[in-house]
Amino acid sequence: MSKRKVKDQQLTVGQCVCQVGLCHIRIRVHRILRERFCFQKLPSAPVGLESQHKHLLELLKRTAIHGESNSVLIVGPRGAGKTMLLKSVLNELLDVKEVKSNILLVQLNGLLQTDDRIALKEITRQLNLENVVGDKVFGSFAENLAFLLEALKKGDRSSSRPVLFTLDEFDLFTHHKNQTLLYNLFDISQSAQTPVAVVGLTCRVDVLELLEKRVKSRFSHRQIQALSPMDFPQYVELVQQQLSLPQEFPDGRFAHEWNNSVKALCEDKSVEDVLRKHFNLSKDFRSLHMLLFLALSCVTPSNPTIKPSLLLEASRLCTMDCKANMLHGLSILELCLIIAMKHLNDHYQDEPFNFEMVYNEFKKFLQRKSHSVHSFEKPVVIKAFEHLQQLELIRPVDGSASRTQKEYQLMKLLLDHTQVMEALQRYPQCPTDVKQWATSAFG
Amino acid sequence: TPRHATPGIPSRSLPARKPGNVLEEARARLHVSSVPDSLPCREQEFQDIYSFVESKIVGGNGGCMYISGVPGTGKTATVHEVIRCLQHASEQDELPSFRFIEINGMKMTDPHQAYVQILQKLTNQKATADHAAALLEKRFSNPAPQKETTVLLVDELDLLWTKKQNVMYNLFDWPTRRYARLVVLAIANTMDLPERIMINRVASRLGLTRMSFQPYSFKQLQQIITSRLNQVKAFEEDAVQLVSRKVAALSGDARRCLDICRRATEICEHSSSRQPGSGLVGMAHVMEALDEMFSSSYISAIRCASTQEQLFLRAVIAEFRRLGLEEATFQQVFVQHRALCRMEGLQPISVSEGLAVCQRLGTSRILLLEPSRLDLLLRVRLNVSQDDVLYALKED
Repeated sequence: MSKRKVKDQQLTVGQCVCQVGLCHIRIRVHRILRERFCFQKLPSAPVGLESQHKHLLELLKRTAIHGESNSVLIVGPRGAGKTMLLKSVLNELLDVKEVKSNILLVQLNGLLQTDDRIALKEITRQLNLENVVGDKVFGSFAENLAFLLEALKKGDRSSSRPVLFTLDEFDLFTHHKNQTLLYNLFDISQSAQTPVAVVGLTCRVDVLELLEKRVKSRFSHRQIQALSPMDFPQYVELVQQQLSLPQEFPDGRFAHEWNNSVKALCEDKSVEDVLRKHFNLSKDFRSLHMLLFLALSCVTPSNPTIKPSLLLEASRLCTMDCKANMLHGLSILELCLIIAMKHLNDHYQDEPFNFEMVYNEFKKFLQRKSHSVHSFEKPVVIKAFEHLQQLELIRPVDGSASRTQKEYQLMKLLLDHTQVMEALQRYPQCPTDVKQWATSAFG
Repeated sequence: TPRHATPGIPSRSLPARKPGNVLEEARARLHVSSVPDSLPCREQEFQDIYSFVESKIVGGNGGCMYISGVPGTGKTATVHEVIRCLQHASEQDELPSFRFIEINGMKMTDPHQAYVQILQKLTNQKATADHAAALLEKRFSNPAPQKETTVLLVDELDLLWTKKQNVMYNLFDWPTRRYARLVVLAIANTMDLPERIMINRVASRLGLTRMSFQPYSFKQLQQIITSRLNQVKAFEEDAVQLVSRKVAALSGDARRCLDICRRATEICEHSSSRQPGSGLVGMAHVMEALDEMFSSSYISAIRCASTQEQLFLRAVIAEFRRLGLEEATFQQVFVQHRALCRMEGLQPISVSEGLAVCQRLGTSRILLLEPSRLDLLLRVRLNVSQDDVLYALKED
């Protein structure tokens, strides 16, 4: 704080104004981009899912305008833009004047409505039916269901308002008892009652196998797959588009400069390598947003543009191996125990081990080779062993947990060979004989 | 519920638009909800149920009938049609008047709610389940002058199963009472339901009047579609035949058939807006609709997966081949994965990233995984056949 003050005093008045203005601009840049990355702001046009967008829009339009009942499932991996697709379709749908006052929306989520009782109350509340008083729904579960079904039955195709049900995390609804809610929703969509559209969103490809036979028969088997056959150049283009400032940004000159720097960034060779690595790992938008957000948060007044180095740093943060990091924090004794376990694994082909075996292995090392590691008392070694268990670097083999004594409990190592070796290389001031012991074939 | 709440959905400000062209007209007719006045291909079943119920109404005694069949074979629709015809007949004074009530096992939260719903539909009275059972018991076992016959349709019978089976027992016991004049039509999916889940005294009361609905054959499906379309010229003959043959071969579910036809009209509409054709739904459109609804989505999901995910699947298969088993731990697969990475010239990925890749395949259920707490030791299985995975990975 004080440093900046000193700096400010040295600047002339003009520069000062300029500085303050730039600060404002930068705050605005942060705000715009953060909305995109963290709050999942809707893009103006769907990215990569145009045909699916059209299909869904037409389907929902027909429900809203013609009163045709429909059911559809949107299936795609996590972060593939299913909710984005649905939201942008709804946005566009509600823009149509004919539709806006003619449709009722009910939004359910499998994580919130964990059983049919809660889901039913939520539906009744959102439809604002007559048994709702204030914000409370009265009556028992059975009465609620009967009331809702009665209400929906009374409606007909041409005169009552269509109801649009969106079921987020659809696969969780299939775990409800008897799948009552799904049966009833699909049954309404297949009979001449109030027109409804049931839209389910799920990431499970095998979702239809979860449905009961009679529920499955009533579902229309329409699936929209939120999969985009995106290739790498499109991915880079997407990155550039995501980082660019919009046309209507108030300071045109700044926006132009920023967009140019983003363009230069995307053509950079090292950036391309980073992006290719991420692209190879996964195509989901969320992990990309994470990466860009980490890079963006390092953009400060002293560091005004987004540089390749920032992106490299962000990528390093994203792809860090967490187990290797944990190994760095261990003491030498704990590290020695892990090496002993690794040797046991090598020797006995991944059979489980107990503390005594590890301790023996460790003692052999102390007797024969070690000069730098003290011989610790057994309780100390046990403590270290327990610490490793608490960090879940080792875990007991199932079933032997309660009955046996601690020292004789069978354990397995949850570390890969390479993770151990890599951690040893990077361990600060690792004693040489420990390193040698680790690399030698059989301890 | 407040006492006099009337259930209802608000009405629209603008009435729904009427179908504008031939395709829209066809689509409206093909919707599952627009049940035709007379069901084609179910004449025999209609006749059987009709004569059964008619004889019971005329004779003034009670009885049970068990109707079974896989979903989408027209059980409920046929029963409704029978009732409609009987009601028509009784309006013409050809038959004594009767009452019809309907309950559905899936539309109640608990088997005992059946009593509540029956009582409410009979007398418009609200009561708790126990009280309703007692009232119904009284009503059916005591003589009352000028009682009319009641026809009770119980849909989704298997949902009314309880441990003591008292709901089912009562439903089938009431018709045997002398004064009850109750006809119960029970519908369920499986043919051997009475033998499988009912105890002897319930099954014996259900009796032997049974009927099973066979799945539709392709000719019947074809007839259903043409009768629905009813002179609206929207489909080519061959296209209808293809749909019915495909559906008949798979399940014989009429709902599926109608849904596919409906989807085909959409595809046709979409393509004719691009290139004006004949305006008829042809083979190509139907093929596309069939593909959309029947094809497994696993293959497209695998094809659109990222490079590392595809590589991981290959590693899984390689490891299965090595082990000769259908299951491997993540650690074993990851060794293969690393080797594959090296061969493909990709940067090797760390264990955390490998686990993330594995988890992503697990959430979309291409792989079946144990809980992720097990870390390296979690066991991996394929949810798809190996051939499918190889087929999906090959074509690029």
